[in-house]
Amino acid sequence: MDNHRKESKITPFRVLSLGLVVAASLLFAACGGDDSDDSSSGSAASTATTTEAAATTEAAAQYEVFALLPQGNDQPYGTTYLPPMMAKADELGINLNITNSQYDADKQASECEVAVAANPDLIILWPAVGDTVRPCLEAAKDAGIPVTVTNSDVNPEDKDLTEAYSGPDTYGQGAASGELMCEFADGQDIGIIMVNGLTGNSTAIDRENGFEDTINEQCANVTILARQPGNWNKDDSQLAASEMISAVGAENIQGAYAADDTMVAGVIDALKARGIDPADMIITSIGNTFLGNPLVVSGELDGTVFQSSSWDGEHAVTVAHQVLTNDPAARIVEFMPSVKVTADNADDSSVAPEW
Amino acid sequence: MVATGTWITQPVAFTSYQVTLGRIALVGLVALGLTAVILMGELDLSVASTLAVAGVVMASIDNLALGIIAALVVGLLIGAANAFLVVVVGINSFIATLGMLFLLRGLAFVISDEEPVRLSNIDAGISFGKPLIGEFTPRILLFIFTFIVMHLFLTRVRVGREFYAVGGNRQAARDAGIPVRRRIFTGFMISGLVAAGSGVINALERTAADPTAGSTVLLSSFAAAIVGGILLNGGRGSVFGTLLGATSLGILQVALTLSVVQVDVQNIIIGSVLFIAVISDPNSIRAVSGSVRSFLRGGSVLSKPSVDPKEATNNG
Repeated sequence: MDNHRKESKITPFRVLSLGLVVAASLLFAACGGDDSDDSSSGSAASTATTTEAAATTEAAAQYEVFALLPQGNDQPYGTTYLPPMMAKADELGINLNITNSQYDADKQASECEVAVAANPDLIILWPAVGDTVRPCLEAAKDAGIPVTVTNSDVNPEDKDLTEAYSGPDTYGQGAASGELMCEFADGQDIGIIMVNGLTGNSTAIDRENGFEDTINEQCANVTILARQPGNWNKDDSQLAASEMISAVGAENIQGAYAADDTMVAGVIDALKARGIDPADMIITSIGNTFLGNPLVVSGELDGTVFQSSSWDGEHAVTVAHQVLTNDPAARIVEFMPSVKVTADNADDSSVAPEW
Repeated sequence: MVATGTWITQPVAFTSYQVTLGRIALVGLVALGLTAVILMGELDLSVASTLAVAGVVMASIDNLALGIIAALVVGLLIGAANAFLVVVVGINSFIATLGMLFLLRGLAFVISDEEPVRLSNIDAGISFGKPLIGEFTPRILLFIFTFIVMHLFLTRVRVGREFYAVGGNRQAARDAGIPVRRRIFTGFMISGLVAAGSGVINALERTAADPTAGSTVLLSSFAAAIVGGILLNGGRGSVFGTLLGATSLGILQVALTLSVVQVDVQNIIIGSVLFIAVISDPNSIRAVSGSVRSFLRGGSVLSKPSVDPKEATNNG
């Protein structure tokens, strides 16, 4: 059949072109791993190990560690999470190999297989999807590689496969935001709309549960009228809030909760677009970011909960180092303090926003 | 060349070949199914969402065997629905499957109650992810099996060979008595079935079905097919090409991960490989050189095409 003659032709030019690009890519990759001290570039690759970096640190690199993260410089949080992590790793003599799965569980699982094959001294894991990391943890255990968890903890039944957790108490953050809502509602019957994080994401689920459980327990006068995901994104959140305002009626809404400051900014914009003054509403959030903190100062956001990305990145490494050097008998758990931020303390240097 | 470069810079990618093969299978399996559709000049953008829905359906059923069957049937039905929209309703396959992409993603969230669904038998899932023969996991073996079946189907079975005719010149295929509509139905159902199979494998290996699964699969699988020389206009390509594309991308991804290259730069490199694969195609070279000659002679490129537009419009 003629079609067979039409099949893809492999010409010398084609092979040469592809080969040149691939060879250049791999050469670049090989060299890229040795160019890590440029933290100003914010590159995850720059977090990698280098001879120069090692020479400038107090301790020579002693440990090889893979950090399997779901985000990096593609997200504001990751951008400010990585530099303290890298700095602490240099200080403690840890060679960090950082990956970014972009919240794709299959991609992270594949990266985990690569990490286990590379046989590092330890793996730091920030689960893209908490429910899917069990096989990765089992594979690391079989290979004798300890795993510590950062930012979002694994499921309770998987905790015995990990040596440590450091990061925010995501349920506690939602609960703290709920407590702020209860305090500001002060016994009045109010209806609120709720904008959650990315559907299925463990942080989003924990924060939603923490907030809802708290208002159910502490202030039954607060009613959630509608809820939608805002996907950790301002535009999506603004759209979701706008739809909820139309659905339940602006006159029935006296407050709002968003699972982070980026999304609460979207909610506030949606309220303003409908001619509603956000200062007249009770609005709480989580983050105390560069976006959220000024909203608290201006009075548009009543309260938020401080999450320090630098604390998170730094402790991911210090906890890993503890595991590597001390071989602790029990699982280490270090929670980031969930500090409530309101107009009363928003200007304090202790809660200065970081991301 | 990919293999040689990787061998020099990251030999771990070969010493731990089961990891590399796993990555190739992850991308390649969906790409094999897509090949059936692309060969006929159609597109299936719903494969990643089909993968997610199938995984969620399987994990939602307590009986594992029943869940797998249900998921595969769902894949077939989705393929049939796509084909119905394209063949019977007459919607362009890009638009029809784009709509299906959103519909199925929403359906995955609804079925899963917006949370990952854990398998009722997690131990079975963990066992599934372990090597079955030598260092080969069931995913790798199923990928090899699918490749062999697809290759035989497209080269030895009349129905499969007719896919080339449908993609090459649909009217001529009709004139030759080939039931074009039925072939398109078959192609989409193969694509749906293979994507659903990938969803089942993913859910088993991860011990849970994630409704957001497959977010990077769609573009990777298309990239594998294109790098492998499959013409997006249809009529040209082979599963060997898809295998070659998936192998190149898989090895490259593993090497870049081991080299700690950040994901943005990885995408630049993979995109460059994709561009080179497309522009180094003989048809593209002829088209470009013809246009340049025409331009240098002072004539209008648009008014005086030097090659057949069908040949010049090369996407793979």
